[in-house]
Amino acid sequence: MKYSEREANYIIADSFKEINYKQKKLLLASVYEDNPERQKYAAALIKIIGAGVYNKIKAEFCDGNYRSGVIAALEKRRIECVTLRSAEYPELLKNTDAPPLVLYLRGNARLIKDRLFGVVGSRKTPPYAAETCKKVVGELTSRFTIVTGVADGGDSAAVAGAIDSGRIICVLPCGHDSGSATNPALVREVEKRGLTVSEFPPLSPALKYTFLLRNRIIAGLCEGVLVVSAPQKSGALSTANYASNYSRDVFAFPYNAGVEPGAGCNALIKGGAALCENANDIFAAYGFEKSKQKETQLDGGERAALNLLKEEGELHLERIAAALGKKLFEVITVCSSLEIKGLIIKTGGNKYAAL
Amino acid sequence: MLSKIISYAVVGLDGVPVEVETDINKGMVNYELVGLPDAAVKESKERIFSAIRNSRLHFPVNRITVNLAPADIKKEGSYYDLPIAVSLLVASEQLIADTDGIVMLGELALDGSLRPINGILPILISAKGKGYTRFIVPKGNESEASYIEGIEVFALKSLREAYELLSGESAFLPVEIRSFEAAQKRASYNSDLSLVRGQAVAKRALEIAVAGGHNILLSGPPGTGKTMLARCIPTIMPDMTFEEALEVTKIQSVSGELGEEGIASLRPFRTPHHTATTVSLCGGGNTKIKAGEISKAHRGVLFLDELPEYTRSALESLRQPLEDGKITVTRAGGAITFPADFILCASMNPCPCGNLGSTVKPCTCTAAQIKKYRSKISGPLLDRIDLQVEVDSLKYDDLSGAESEESSAAVKKRVELARAIQRERFSCEDGITVNADMGEKQIKKYCALTPECEDILRSAFERLNLSARARSRIIKVARTIADLDASLNIKPAHVLEATSYRSFDVSNDL
Repeated sequence: MKYSEREANYIIADSFKEINYKQKKLLLASVYEDNPERQKYAAALIKIIGAGVYNKIKAEFCDGNYRSGVIAALEKRRIECVTLRSAEYPELLKNTDAPPLVLYLRGNARLIKDRLFGVVGSRKTPPYAAETCKKVVGELTSRFTIVTGVADGGDSAAVAGAIDSGRIICVLPCGHDSGSATNPALVREVEKRGLTVSEFPPLSPALKYTFLLRNRIIAGLCEGVLVVSAPQKSGALSTANYASNYSRDVFAFPYNAGVEPGAGCNALIKGGAALCENANDIFAAYGFEKSKQKETQLDGGERAALNLLKEEGELHLERIAAALGKKLFEVITVCSSLEIKGLIIKTGGNKYAAL
Repeated sequence: MLSKIISYAVVGLDGVPVEVETDINKGMVNYELVGLPDAAVKESKERIFSAIRNSRLHFPVNRITVNLAPADIKKEGSYYDLPIAVSLLVASEQLIADTDGIVMLGELALDGSLRPINGILPILISAKGKGYTRFIVPKGNESEASYIEGIEVFALKSLREAYELLSGESAFLPVEIRSFEAAQKRASYNSDLSLVRGQAVAKRALEIAVAGGHNILLSGPPGTGKTMLARCIPTIMPDMTFEEALEVTKIQSVSGELGEEGIASLRPFRTPHHTATTVSLCGGGNTKIKAGEISKAHRGVLFLDELPEYTRSALESLRQPLEDGKITVTRAGGAITFPADFILCASMNPCPCGNLGSTVKPCTCTAAQIKKYRSKISGPLLDRIDLQVEVDSLKYDDLSGAESEESSAAVKKRVELARAIQRERFSCEDGITVNADMGEKQIKKYCALTPECEDILRSAFERLNLSARARSRIIKVARTIADLDASLNIKPAHVLEATSYRSFDVSNDL
């Protein structure tokens, strides 16, 4: 991978652990020869970090060996970089208030230029919401590449829905290979078929605040964000807040009153987010045609059970048997068949719900 | 003079003949007991001394040597009090009798009475096999000795009675043969399926599990009746045959857990606590190797409540016996094979807080916590549990409902029919009696799937993310469901029902 002089400057500046985002920007501003005010930026930087640190950084910044070392290390890790100065840098993210200086990519880097849509959810996503999320995401991949995190629950469900198409981007809360990712198996799988993105140089650990910083990238990259589940205080809600600040569309699954993992979603809808029941709700907002549902063949018993579940929401096997006047093991057979056809889902405790 | 009396030792679940030789000679007054006796056997001298004196007989004052042969088996317990005492009497010429071929067993009390001992039944069976037909045993072991035909057993109260019997002073009647059927009729289980409210899904799964001999995992919130359901499993299992009852009685006899009746006519139900060690489950011991819980559950049910709380090593040790139906315990003292053919019933909460899937209380666990909790049970162990079902959480109204539930007897009838079909099918297969015992070869032979069933199975795997190892398990369960349905072939409905009993089987790769 060849980087231009300017791109390389960004990568090198981002590699310093001693300075933060703002200081890196000052450092970059101070090194461009065509910038008439560069001395002023250098002076400001020295004032903040002191002459000693500045001189050390400046020396390394200009040292050819250090520069080629950093680039070679990235290449060895199979990481591609997209800097704020690169043509590939996503336009939407660039226009947010604090765009990452460098995006570290591993996997199918072309995905970053796709039309992107974010799907986020909390760790405590109820099984039926996870299953619906999987289904919706599966349909969304016909138009969008999905952007999400790497946690269990909502994020994992989104990955599971999109992984088959390969149109999946996971934004990490840590640098690549840092070992602090919550779900290493999932990350590996995504890197094989999709893409992982981080704003942190390789090996940076995940810290409490990096999760929040990561959320701004998910919101920034995407045209819209779907919140699958979110308790009153959650990372998914913070992503939704970023999204609405960046004036992206926010969608949320509706929940029954009193369901804790859905309280945040309902609050979002109350505050003006769009209610999303299926992929068509999202397609409609972007002017896409509705995706056509494939009609699955059902026999009489299956249709009756499915209609009953659609009317009643969640039902216990025995209640279904009583309502349809059938023997229990017959109903087990019918429900198992509907589940295999992907029309209903087990919600635990021998209960089923329609999707 | 020299005398020889036959007695028996118990090694594992078998009896081994032990010859008690006594020689009384002139010389320094001395009593020497040789032939690898343990402490209990060595102490027998004091008991025998008092017992003989208190039986109005004379303890010889001479140079006495008692040898227990063969000398390479460690002699343990109090089996040899009576034979040593009798051989002393014969050697000192107080008792003139033909003791050839009479097997004597029993512990003596100081007053000369005989105390019951453990392991009578295995000894009688082994000795009968060796051609011995006459036995003297303590009165307390009478009922246990009364189920074996073709032998003559005298159950005596004291050493004095033994003396009188052998010398011909008095006559005693041998133990009367009792019928196993009568004992079985008298016995009954404490539980019954009709006493369990609701839980129709779990009951159906239990029926399938018992019909096919499948192991079963019940998962459900605390206090929903998992233990109660498990206790009903023996009640719907077919009655034990006499041969099975003897196998179970042997183990209970050796472990000293045999009841008044003298034979085990009910299927055992064992519930080792989750602090149980590997040794207590599998069996072991330093010199005398004892049967573990899994052998005590032979022909019955081993119930492991709160499965994830057991130590990993204890659970993993179950894998091989679950496969083979027996366990070989090897120690410095030798290797002994115990039977361990049982239905494993395990129960667990669906998540650490226990309320996942409950209608009554919300679950407070994260996905990672649930994953960690479930991963305490290894894949290979889950592999051997064919049915995994959820138990419903009940509300008060469901508990107090008035409708009557099906009794165990009714379910048992269906189970027996399904078992009969399986016996027929496996009549030419060695060692296989139920569907759960089938290996890959038998599955291929007896569980041919129609293309339609194959399609269902394939889409079930794709759709439900089943792990590959679930396949043969589902097919075996489908075979059992077909047997309950008295259907010759496996139909799509059977496969569909079988796939629904797999709540823990979803692969967690993503």
